[in-house]
Amino acid sequence: MDGINSLIEGFATALTPINLLYAFLGVLLGTAIGVLPGIGPAMTIALLLPLTYTLEPTQAFIMFAGIYYGGMYGGSTTSILLNTPGESASVITAIEGNLMAKKGRGAAALATAAIGSFIAGTIGTLGLALLAPVIVELAVQMGAPDYFAVMVLAFVAVTTVLGSSKIRGFASLGIGLLIGTIGIDPTAGQQRLTLGVPELADGIDVVVVAVGLFAVGEALWVAAHLRRSSLDIVHVDGARMTRDDWRRSWKPWLRGTAIGFPFGAIPAGGAEIPTFLSYAAEKKLTKNPEEFGKGAIEGVAGPEATNNASAAGGLVPLLTLGIPTTATAAVMLGAFQGYGIQPGPRLLDTQPELVWGLIASLFIGNAILLGLNLPLATVWARLLRIPRPYLYAGILFFASIGAYAANNSTFDLWLLLIIGALGFFMRRYGLPIVPAIIGIILGPVAEEQMRRALQISDGELSGLYNTAFSQIVYVIIALLLVGPPIVRLVRSRRGGKGTGSGPDTLAGAHAHANAEGV
Amino acid sequence: MTPANGSTGPAAPEVPPDRATGGVAGPAGPAVPVQPGGPGGSDRVPDSTRDASAKKDYSEYGVAVLLLALGIWAIVDAMGLADAASARGPIGPKTVPIVVGLLLVAMAILLVVDVARGGRGEQEGGEDVDLSHGSDWRTIGLLAGAFAANALLIERIGWPLSGAILFFGTTYALGSRSYIRNVIISLIMSVGTWYLFYAGLGIKLPVGLLKGIL
Amino acid sequence: MPIVVGYIPSPAGHAALTTAIAEARLRGSRLVVVNASRGDALVDRRHSSAEDWQSVQDQLGESGVEHEVLRQVEAKAPADQILEVAQQTNAELIVVGLRRRTPVGKLIMGSQAQQILLDADCPVLAVKADSA
Repeated sequence: MDGINSLIEGFATALTPINLLYAFLGVLLGTAIGVLPGIGPAMTIALLLPLTYTLEPTQAFIMFAGIYYGGMYGGSTTSILLNTPGESASVITAIEGNLMAKKGRGAAALATAAIGSFIAGTIGTLGLALLAPVIVELAVQMGAPDYFAVMVLAFVAVTTVLGSSKIRGFASLGIGLLIGTIGIDPTAGQQRLTLGVPELADGIDVVVVAVGLFAVGEALWVAAHLRRSSLDIVHVDGARMTRDDWRRSWKPWLRGTAIGFPFGAIPAGGAEIPTFLSYAAEKKLTKNPEEFGKGAIEGVAGPEATNNASAAGGLVPLLTLGIPTTATAAVMLGAFQGYGIQPGPRLLDTQPELVWGLIASLFIGNAILLGLNLPLATVWARLLRIPRPYLYAGILFFASIGAYAANNSTFDLWLLLIIGALGFFMRRYGLPIVPAIIGIILGPVAEEQMRRALQISDGELSGLYNTAFSQIVYVIIALLLVGPPIVRLVRSRRGGKGTGSGPDTLAGAHAHANAEGV
Repeated sequence: MTPANGSTGPAAPEVPPDRATGGVAGPAGPAVPVQPGGPGGSDRVPDSTRDASAKKDYSEYGVAVLLLALGIWAIVDAMGLADAASARGPIGPKTVPIVVGLLLVAMAILLVVDVARGGRGEQEGGEDVDLSHGSDWRTIGLLAGAFAANALLIERIGWPLSGAILFFGTTYALGSRSYIRNVIISLIMSVGTWYLFYAGLGIKLPVGLLKGIL
Repeated sequence: MPIVVGYIPSPAGHAALTTAIAEARLRGSRLVVVNASRGDALVDRRHSSAEDWQSVQDQLGESGVEHEVLRQVEAKAPADQILEVAQQTNAELIVVGLRRRTPVGKLIMGSQAQQILLDADCPVLAVKADSA
């Protein structure tokens, strides 16, 4: 019940007029930018990090909470109106959602997505509020070796689950860890990898890294391959959700929530896999299987709920352990660090107003989102008319402001260009961005925990795995690394039995679920 | 009813392949430009003109070279660190860079093997990305130029002007040719953000030449 | 000596198309329908969707006029694209749709119809949405 009381206090924080305004602004900005093609929630928060230079932490995070959910929902609007997902988690929504819209059921698709997101977000946030104090209680007993093990798990999971090539994933992680080491070593006070440049002694600013990799890298990459075409947008008419739609939607909403929340809480590559699982589950359980592939409402309701529930789930490890499971969470962790706050089990004690205010504003943001999106979907669609030159000019423009304002120095602008070039290069050669950003932001923290663990054990390497918890985690890591290839081998031996038509992601998801189950 | 058309000569219209005549349904997708090579420079280049086979192999090895270089840099730099006797704890500042360096070197080697076996990096797709043509280096160059111009000028002429140059330069690089509109939008953006940051956030971006006016 | 009509999916565009069909019938000329887009936004109001384009072709088919349809996406202003088609086909007449614009709007956004009126080498017939 402790959580409930704290949550009520959180509402007291979040419900002040000024904080409500920030929540509203966050939802508005998040949805608007989320609707825009090519800009995901991670880039949105990265571009808005400069706000943290002067805003109070509580207000900044209330705003980020709105952006977080708004960005998620914005992507699904795009994917229903056009057959193009705004972000990877909306890929599934695009399949059935766009087909529904083409059949003239666009309004119903948007409504089931909005209401599903609201329900999943609310249940997910409630789960976060109830779970966070429990996990914190367990987490305070965790020692340095346990933390280090969990961080290694985060690195390995993010690297192996995402992308098709593990080599390129680990290469990207290595680049991230390398950038993370640049600067003065916190314990020994020696300059590492600074090339004698004084500006690098403090390390590279998180804003510069995040904006460089996500915004500048993306803008350069898209600019080099600019598509010249317009898609056919589906006009949304007034055909709202019918009684039958409600009957068919509510179970997928709840099932999607149940699938999405736990997946969000583990470093499994964000909402991609759970949305896929939700879609597969709905397809199996539906009474109207013939509609799948032709615009089934269950295929929109389930994955959309999953998407938002996993966004809420992702906040559990972020707030209680300081471990990001997605790119967006990593950028938010960077924002915490910008305030000199290190999320972890003590955060709830040291910054209760911040954490509970944030959680309460997630509820509020969710409600605002529902209010904004049901009537405004067609208004959002107008944003899709912004010509690409302005869109990408805007990205570079705001990226430059953010990088310059970080330290009021042009050095950061040049650095931004170099990191942007790195982001371009990584996109060109299939190195995933997420492991790099997690490596940069989590790397230094992991190093600190490792050193602490070895300090306690007086240099014995066993100090890294001498607790039962860390041993379990290392077993999971080993399974993650070895499991999927073995499963694939067994499957190919069996001659591709089972869902032969299913794409690789599904097989990967199964393998992953197996590994987690141990 | 003769049109006042100058080119009445043998203007035999070259019929592009996508021209649908006589009510035949046009292609559902976007039509290919009638005339390639517009002022935008970002027009689609026909696939046949691009050499996609031989050149690509070597650039994939370039990734391995970069990883190797980064890895060696990390290891060499770490070797140069003095292991202070006063180091608090058994592990000094060297360990992590060396481990990361070894990871990068190992990945470089594995990547060479992978590429030699025919593995290719999967280029990142996206809703605005058209991977059917190669990288457009002219656009990249113009963008980098606009970006560099801002970095060079921001402290000399101030953000309200350098930011406008950045925005205008980017729209130009990306093929927008409505100059008047772009100048107006660029100035509104840069002056607007200057005020927003100054008044709303208390961050003073360089004002430069417009000091006293703003 | 065809008639070139600039078509966009709007009342003005439909008016232009209807007028152009009537004009082509009158003159016994071939009709070239152009839907030009810069293709620089994910969604372009000027770009005719697959369905809309089909309805245009149906309308043309019913009219019985000899015709050719062009839906093109190029990195230049739609006006330039239409002028180019007119030049290439040696058009006798260009038909465009007009909408009401404020002087400020025209200054900032430019006017495709105005550019066609000014730069065309052949007569131009400008049609308003409600005059068809």
